Amino acid sequence: MDKLLVSPSPHLHTKTSTKSLMRDVVIALLPAVLVSVLFYGWSELLVLGVSVASCVLLEFLITKYLLKKSCTVGDMSAVVTGILLALNLPATTPWWVVFIGAVVAIGVAKMTFGGLGQNLFNPAIVGRVFLLISFPTYMTDWTRPQGFIGGGLDALSGATPLGLVKEGGVAAIESLDYMDMLFYNIGGSAGELSAIALIIGFIYLLARKVIKPYITLSIIATVAVFSGIFWLINPAEYTDPVFNILTGGLLLGSIFMATDYVTSPMSNVGGIIFGVGIGIITMLIRYFGAYPEGMSFAILIMNSVVPLLNKWFHSKKYGRA
Amino acid sequence: MMKTFSIGGIHPSDSKISKDCKIEVLPVPSKVYISVAQHLGAPATPIVKAGDQVKVGQVIAEPSGFISAYVHSSVSGTVKSVGPRKDLAGNNMTHIEIDVEGDEWIEEADLSDTLVTAIPEDNKAILEKIKMCGVVGLGGATFPAHVKLCPPPGKKADCLILNGAECEPYLTSDYRIMLERSKEIVVGAAIMKQVLGGCPAVIGIEENKPEAIKAMAAAVAELQRSAKGYEGISVMTLKKKYPQGGEKQLIDAVMGRQVKSMGLPIDVGAVVQNVATSLAVYEAVQKNIPLVTNVMTITGDCLPMEKQHNYKFRIGMPLSYIAEYAGGIPEKAAKIISGGPMMGKAIANMDATTVKGSSSLLYLTAEQTVRGVESACIRCGKCAEACPMGLEPFLLNKYARNNMMDELEENAIQDCIECGCCLYSCPANIPLLDIIRIAKGDVIRIIRGRTAKK
Repeated sequence: MDKLLVSPSPHLHTKTSTKSLMRDVVIALLPAVLVSVLFYGWSELLVLGVSVASCVLLEFLITKYLLKKSCTVGDMSAVVTGILLALNLPATTPWWVVFIGAVVAIGVAKMTFGGLGQNLFNPAIVGRVFLLISFPTYMTDWTRPQGFIGGGLDALSGATPLGLVKEGGVAAIESLDYMDMLFYNIGGSAGELSAIALIIGFIYLLARKVIKPYITLSIIATVAVFSGIFWLINPAEYTDPVFNILTGGLLLGSIFMATDYVTSPMSNVGGIIFGVGIGIITMLIRYFGAYPEGMSFAILIMNSVVPLLNKWFHSKKYGRA
Repeated sequence: MMKTFSIGGIHPSDSKISKDCKIEVLPVPSKVYISVAQHLGAPATPIVKAGDQVKVGQVIAEPSGFISAYVHSSVSGTVKSVGPRKDLAGNNMTHIEIDVEGDEWIEEADLSDTLVTAIPEDNKAILEKIKMCGVVGLGGATFPAHVKLCPPPGKKADCLILNGAECEPYLTSDYRIMLERSKEIVVGAAIMKQVLGGCPAVIGIEENKPEAIKAMAAAVAELQRSAKGYEGISVMTLKKKYPQGGEKQLIDAVMGRQVKSMGLPIDVGAVVQNVATSLAVYEAVQKNIPLVTNVMTITGDCLPMEKQHNYKFRIGMPLSYIAEYAGGIPEKAAKIISGGPMMGKAIANMDATTVKGSSSLLYLTAEQTVRGVESACIRCGKCAEACPMGLEPFLLNKYARNNMMDELEENAIQDCIECGCCLYSCPANIPLLDIIRIAKGDVIRIIRGRTAKK
């Protein structure tokens, strides 16, 4: 040893890195990915493959040739965006539509703002909402493709439970079994299939301290309270809380999308208000809006409030009560 | 439930590898270089010149201000020179060079092992002894001990907290003295508590040191049985969390009180002293031994077990001499730290010498200590979660990089205790504390300038 290294303290560093955090999110998404592939088969694999590959490739090309910066795909955040985008689409989405979604998610929502850490809106949701508005027919085609297992649940194929309610009222979903929805939902985008798979992911993220529970729980609690009040007043008109929590990507959104570091508030109080806002907006859209579900819009709207929430709410400081 | 501080904190591996190594006495080298800057505050003024004969414990430099301290010779022999020499950061500081001859102590020093439990009654005399013996805080800041023990008029101590947390990973010197010198530490605590007007004294120790908790509790119980003046002393087990040993954090953990921004612990009735300081107080008051020795840990993951040590050293010993005596610097060491890995200083100059507050030679390997490449902030908030002062380092970082002084002050950058939790926690390797530390200095200068004008 000839030379001594000299630098300011601290001299140790956590093993947690941006990459390891993103890897944990990917691991947490695996149960949901697995369920969706099992039940939706090859077509879901194609959606997932195209989405992840194009997200990573686009970020690579943009950083290298457009921005001429050092390449950031190694941090795995593009992989997360790719998986989330895929899980937000019907398994029947044509590959070129998925690709357009990836262009919007990575190219527009993420890289134009300056890449990871700078974007105001959740890239995967921007991609999904763009597709929902631009290609409504593909985006609401809920035909169940042949899966590797359990291909026979076609009684309600062609519509999501929330879509059924929008068209036929609460009576249209009377035959639904909540246990089915808990394990493998009936109709919907790939990531809505299994509540259990998503909850396993949630527990993993909490156990690994990747996220804190405030945002997710405040969304779920708000949806439960909001729909509970309406349901108690008029159960013939309004859907019940359990139904609202298990459908329409509410779990996928509240566990994996609303908790995105970059586009959610920094403080716990801010996070709770953010979650309450998402819950209320989602339910307003579901009960009174034109779309059957409202999670994506609710998250995007609340994303835009995050800078304000960060300005208003700060962490509790020592000795400054 | 075990107590701890209420905001932030991190849980690095404690790596107390050298905890079972008994304290060994380092032999005196042929030459020592004693720095006049051994404490927080103004460096002391040398009162010896080349050619003077000195004994161990003789004053060789006097305080040069209210916040300053006496410095004593740690050896007997002849003063060779008084002049600039590089400290461990490589900066020039006045050192007194002494050629060692024999080991003759000042006459009043009581070098026997007899435990003196009877506490002198005259508080003024006690304080004078603590001051004259150059006792400074040995928990890191080396703040002159007698200053902390004299609360300003109108302020009263409600609790003396003895800091036995030793929350820095790797360090085991406090642990060893708590095992080997438990009773002396308790006597020191009783002395300080008497000086402070008889407030209760709490010895805070983290749960990862069960033997120390046991030893200290046994020492307290025995002294309470056998001598007078030991009532109101207790041991408190604290949850393991860094930076528990931070003064503000320890007050929060033990008393549930928080010191106001820019305030002093005494404002909330707290006086915090390290267990090593308590031992130094015992030696000064009961044994007339000035602070010329302390215990340091030689450790690191790249050091084989037989080369791990806890040494009783004398001030002024070259670090290179100690490293050599301990078996040499390990091949894999890339950085050597004086102090803990979270707040210690990287040594730039191994020819620098020990000071009162020296606590370790910690060898870290390149894999352990080299920082990763900085990447973009992903706004994960881990820094804010870790900050024990409740600050938002991500925000301070942004403001500091844009020189936004007003915003920095509004967001309490001046409260930063530089514990390193933010930088430790950042998954994007952003040098948060490096940037905050510089900006904090600027903001405090602005605040001082403003109050001076008024």
